[in-house]
Amino acid sequence: MSSAPSFSEKAGLPDLTPTPSFLEPQPKSSSYLDAIAPLTNTWNRYSAWRESFGLPNPGSTEQLTKEVKGTLATNFIFEGGRADLTKSLSANPAFQVTHSFALGSEAQPASYNFNTVYAKENLMMMGGFDHDGNVNARLNQGWTANSISKLQAQFSSQAGHNMLQMEHDYNGTDYNLNVKAMNLWPTDLTGVYIGSYLQSVTKNLALGVEGLYQRPTPDMSELSTSYIAKYTADKKDWIATALVQPSGIVTTSYWHKLSDKVEVAADLQLIAAPTRRDALATLGVKYELRMAGFRAQVDSTGKVAAVLEQRFAPTLAFLLSGEIDHFKSTAKVGAGVMIETSTLTPEEMGMPPQ
Amino acid sequence: MFSEDNKERITKVVEVSRTVLHYAWIPLIIYVGYTRSNPQPSLIKLISPLA
Repeated sequence: MSSAPSFSEKAGLPDLTPTPSFLEPQPKSSSYLDAIAPLTNTWNRYSAWRESFGLPNPGSTEQLTKEVKGTLATNFIFEGGRADLTKSLSANPAFQVTHSFALGSEAQPASYNFNTVYAKENLMMMGGFDHDGNVNARLNQGWTANSISKLQAQFSSQAGHNMLQMEHDYNGTDYNLNVKAMNLWPTDLTGVYIGSYLQSVTKNLALGVEGLYQRPTPDMSELSTSYIAKYTADKKDWIATALVQPSGIVTTSYWHKLSDKVEVAADLQLIAAPTRRDALATLGVKYELRMAGFRAQVDSTGKVAAVLEQRFAPTLAFLLSGEIDHFKSTAKVGAGVMIETSTLTPEEMGMPPQ
Repeated sequence: MFSEDNKERITKVVEVSRTVLHYAWIPLIIYVGYTRSNPQPSLIKLISPLA
């Protein structure tokens, strides 16, 4: 009988259960939506019809040559000495700071860079500044699983070096739509606008178009389009892409994953404008081993380059970079160190205890 | 579309927000990261490259 008093006590308390207001009869949808119901029905039927083809998402235009760029050494070559000290301060949400030092390069003076990243499921904030006081900022906000807005900005104390880019990316079941506006000025709508659309045509082939609309002053504007094709193999182990600009620029690339550890890539750029005729071919290979990564490449301007990343521990890596230009008889050598420290214990980072 | 006054005002707003973001963006990320981190790190570890 001990439960009886507690029951009466409970009865005396204010009722905390939510009032079932949602159970009251309500119109199924608002009148606004009713008005466009035929449209949404048609759209839904159209989407279902398209989904019935089972075409894959082609990926965005920006990521068209992602695999090639990751394989070629071009983006990894550096000169002089450099040190990157990364500190992970939290794993979930991800928060890390990086201090980068670089010196001894002939092309650039010694520099210091600070970078910080904060990321959770659908929000990413990134910021960096250098010793000159230039700040760059990035903000990515995901709205749904396939819709993301991006903001990218650069602030400088020098006039004319400021930049702001707004971007929205939408991934449909078999297409990708991306719009960008750069340095948009609200009063006269000048700026640079880029829109791209990539559509899977068959299981392997995707075709797309990209439009670049430049409006530097209110009474001057220029539109240029480029056409894109991407062929992905059935097993996704090789990808070939082509980008054609009617002004006479053709860029083609080929990427092939030979095994788990070896990837090769080739890139060919042709410029056949009336004023200039030029071509550049690049061939590269990447080995991704357990404790080392090695990239080597050769291109048609007579440059041979290699970048080695040797990891001695999961948190410590050495970098060696070299490039020889045989036609100009010049060379670039770089050495660097990457140290990653963490205030977290291995368990906190989600690693199994050893 | 806009009167000269409004154009001037918009220019001013853009300039001010640009300056604010220039100086406040990194402190903002560090503040957000520092307060939401789990576990919360010590401040010296956050700022110093060597600690």
